[in-house]
Amino acid sequence: MTRTLVSRLGFYALAAWVSITLNFIVPRLMPGDPATIMAGRLSGQASPEAIAALRAQFGATDRSLVGQYVDYLGDLAHGDLGLSISEYPARVSDVIAGGLTWTLALGGVAVITSFVLGTALGALAAWRRAGWLDAVLPPVLALSGAFPYFWLAMLALYIFGFTLGWAPLRHAYCDHLAPSWSFGFILDAIEHAVLPVVTIVAATLGGWLLGMRNTMIGVLGTEQIKLARAKGLPAGRVLWAYAARNAILPNLAGFGMALGFVLGGSLLTEIVFSYPGTGYLLIQAVRNQDYPLMQGLFLTLTLAVLAANFAVDLLTLWLDPRTRRHG
Amino acid sequence: VTRAGWALLVVLASCGSHRAPRPAGSDAPLMISVEQQSAWVRNFNPLLPPGRARWPSRDGVYEPLLIYNPMAAGGGAWTPWLATGYDWSSDLRTLRFHLRSGVKWSDGQPFTSDDVVTTFEILHRYPALDIAHVWGFIASVTAPDPLTVELAFSRVYVPGLDDVAHQPIVPRHIWAHVPDPMTFANPDPVGTGPFTEVRVFRAQVFELGRNPYYWQPGRPKVAALRMSAYPSNDQANLALVIGDVDWAGNFVPAVDRTFVDRDRAHHVSWSPLVGNMVFLYANTARPPFDDVRVRKALSMAIDRSRIVEVAMYGMTRPADATGLTDAYAGWRDAAAGRADWMMHDPAAAGRLLAAAGFPRGDDGVRRDAAGNALDYDIEVVSGWSDWVRAAQLIARDLSAIGVRAHLRVYEFSAWMSRLQEGTFALSVGYSLDGPTPYRFYRWTMSSQTVRPLGQTSAGNWHRFADPEADRLLAAFERSAAPADQHAIAIDLERRFAAVAPAIPLFANPLWGEFSSEHFTGFPDAAHPFARLSPHIEPDALLVLTAVEPVVPGAGAPATAAVMR
Repeated sequence: MTRTLVSRLGFYALAAWVSITLNFIVPRLMPGDPATIMAGRLSGQASPEAIAALRAQFGATDRSLVGQYVDYLGDLAHGDLGLSISEYPARVSDVIAGGLTWTLALGGVAVITSFVLGTALGALAAWRRAGWLDAVLPPVLALSGAFPYFWLAMLALYIFGFTLGWAPLRHAYCDHLAPSWSFGFILDAIEHAVLPVVTIVAATLGGWLLGMRNTMIGVLGTEQIKLARAKGLPAGRVLWAYAARNAILPNLAGFGMALGFVLGGSLLTEIVFSYPGTGYLLIQAVRNQDYPLMQGLFLTLTLAVLAANFAVDLLTLWLDPRTRRHG
Repeated sequence: VTRAGWALLVVLASCGSHRAPRPAGSDAPLMISVEQQSAWVRNFNPLLPPGRARWPSRDGVYEPLLIYNPMAAGGGAWTPWLATGYDWSSDLRTLRFHLRSGVKWSDGQPFTSDDVVTTFEILHRYPALDIAHVWGFIASVTAPDPLTVELAFSRVYVPGLDDVAHQPIVPRHIWAHVPDPMTFANPDPVGTGPFTEVRVFRAQVFELGRNPYYWQPGRPKVAALRMSAYPSNDQANLALVIGDVDWAGNFVPAVDRTFVDRDRAHHVSWSPLVGNMVFLYANTARPPFDDVRVRKALSMAIDRSRIVEVAMYGMTRPADATGLTDAYAGWRDAAAGRADWMMHDPAAAGRLLAAAGFPRGDDGVRRDAAGNALDYDIEVVSGWSDWVRAAQLIARDLSAIGVRAHLRVYEFSAWMSRLQEGTFALSVGYSLDGPTPYRFYRWTMSSQTVRPLGQTSAGNWHRFADPEADRLLAAFERSAAPADQHAIAIDLERRFAAVAPAIPLFANPLWGEFSSEHFTGFPDAAHPFARLSPHIEPDALLVLTAVEPVVPGAGAPATAAVMR
């Protein structure tokens, strides 16, 4: 058990180093540089002299790539992500922190809801094969999942927000409220999250459901389920403790990835519903060649994916005895 | 099942109305949409390059000495602001500003010439903040008395007035103690502008209240400005249409139907042709575009009225041969604007190309002497749908005269670097402008703005130099009298029409929308006292100080066109 854990930890350390290094290299492969792009957006107001000075200010150096890499690792070790360029001179950590809470809340709730609901419904659909649940849900959800998400979200916003006025049109809470832990504010924030969460769930539920259903069908045909039934165990226990526990493993691995990606922000959701999360920051960073912000976002994202996968690994160790090597 | 499920969920969750009631009364904020962001970062540093500090730091919290208003009667004029006027020494080596007396900073301290001197000293110490590079032409800035500032020029350069006069001025008593103005986010600004008090600052909304010491008596009449974060045009337009935004400068598709018709009594869209000029840039550092006949032939092949109709929904009109938009209406000479090469005439274009040595091959495509087919990409920014449509039409028009052309879209930054480095052959692009046509022609024809291919160039992307234009631009730099400037501008216009450095297509409308339901006093077609778009600096100050709340029950007040 300990050896398994140590080797897993070693693997994650290696993966973290690779992603940190890629994170350094990839943005530098893009053509252009931030100062030139800023100058381009200023429509000729910026003089060549100012652009050169800005380029220096934004950290364009003649230092070798290796030297820059060493600096980068050093800053990272101190938790220093540098200054954002598109939001100059704000610190990258502050820019990301501003949206992280909302992104975590919205994305976390949506992914967990979708996973729990999809997996449970998938298990039930497989349990009562060819029942009404099994006949209706898979095709309908496959359809809603096949709609381009942007279009689905816009349609929901148009119908429920704009035409019917049932849901707020934008933002994480009403503009006239100040964030607090009061009941009124939390209720308001929940109201603002309903439509975004529902659209994400509608778009992703089908995947979880179909995955669970298909694995379940395989598991239900195995000898151990026959044995469990033959022993006369209650149906609920056979369904959840015997069949679902085994069938959930592939879905669980996917869940780890999905949970990690939450931190990257639900880009399209945040754009359609003007939700103040981190997803839009990434576009902004790419458009302005804001390397520090890009690196900060990718770093948060990769570390979150690794952490979530590690958590899922631990969970799998507990759920699946075969993964526990003794020795 | 799912649709019904959502509807149920939404009904359960929405107990109240979601059209949050607008704060009413004289304290109500004016709702504005300018910058598009998903979350606001608190930054009110007006010295940073535009776009870094929150709008309106540069022209609302802080103010410039003078404001050039191209809409002023007579075709453009300087409006006195923190300075009441300026004069040049007889040798044009010294520029003197006379400051307004009685102006106070928003903390109650008096505004004096020391503040102006400190501002320019900061620019000197931090070249990255000296966006216009004023220290390239000024030698010193001094304050002979509290209400006079003297700028000694290192060379005669009259257009330098534009850069100096538009510089936002910061208070010495605060900025002299800022350790690094480059990384200072200035969270609690002290300015001379009409709106200086940060009432609310949150990720998705911020509010600026009025300056208690504002120098214009009784102004601003609006209690506060509220800026909500909208990540894209679609979200901002939605808010505008339903009345959650009072003033915006966005492109609204089919604006008459989607916005104006929704509330004809209050919704106004006014988009005069004072944006920048849209060009087809031909890279003149590469044959065959170094040949003026080729550039003129391409121009004659293009059916501009069709582009205006199809790509711009008739919101603009074909350009003339001066390349100038209506922002220079007072400078433009109608006779200079009439030229054969701006007329749609494919037959004449074909004759011109044949005369230039590009006969049609058997396949109908023209070839140069070495037998290479004239075959080019027209580069545009992906997602700029008006340009993409225009480029498609141009490609078809060029093919008709035997020049093969293909639409090629790039992401903005890639498109910009290709322009700047001169790696393009044909590209749709915009003009670079200033208060007078000087800058426009400098960026289109001056040898001083040409950079070799492969080297980044801030402008003159088509890399065109003309000695006669150089001479005229140099003369403009040495002319302070408006009459002389106008005469030289007309010569520059004629030169542009003769040498066709770039191919003008149409002027961009400067999009502007407002709703007079809660606030009035905006400029519009009947009261064109300033440009409506809040994106345009420093004109936004003219609008911010003119707008007033509608007093309930007092009937609709007439739109006040206030000029100072």
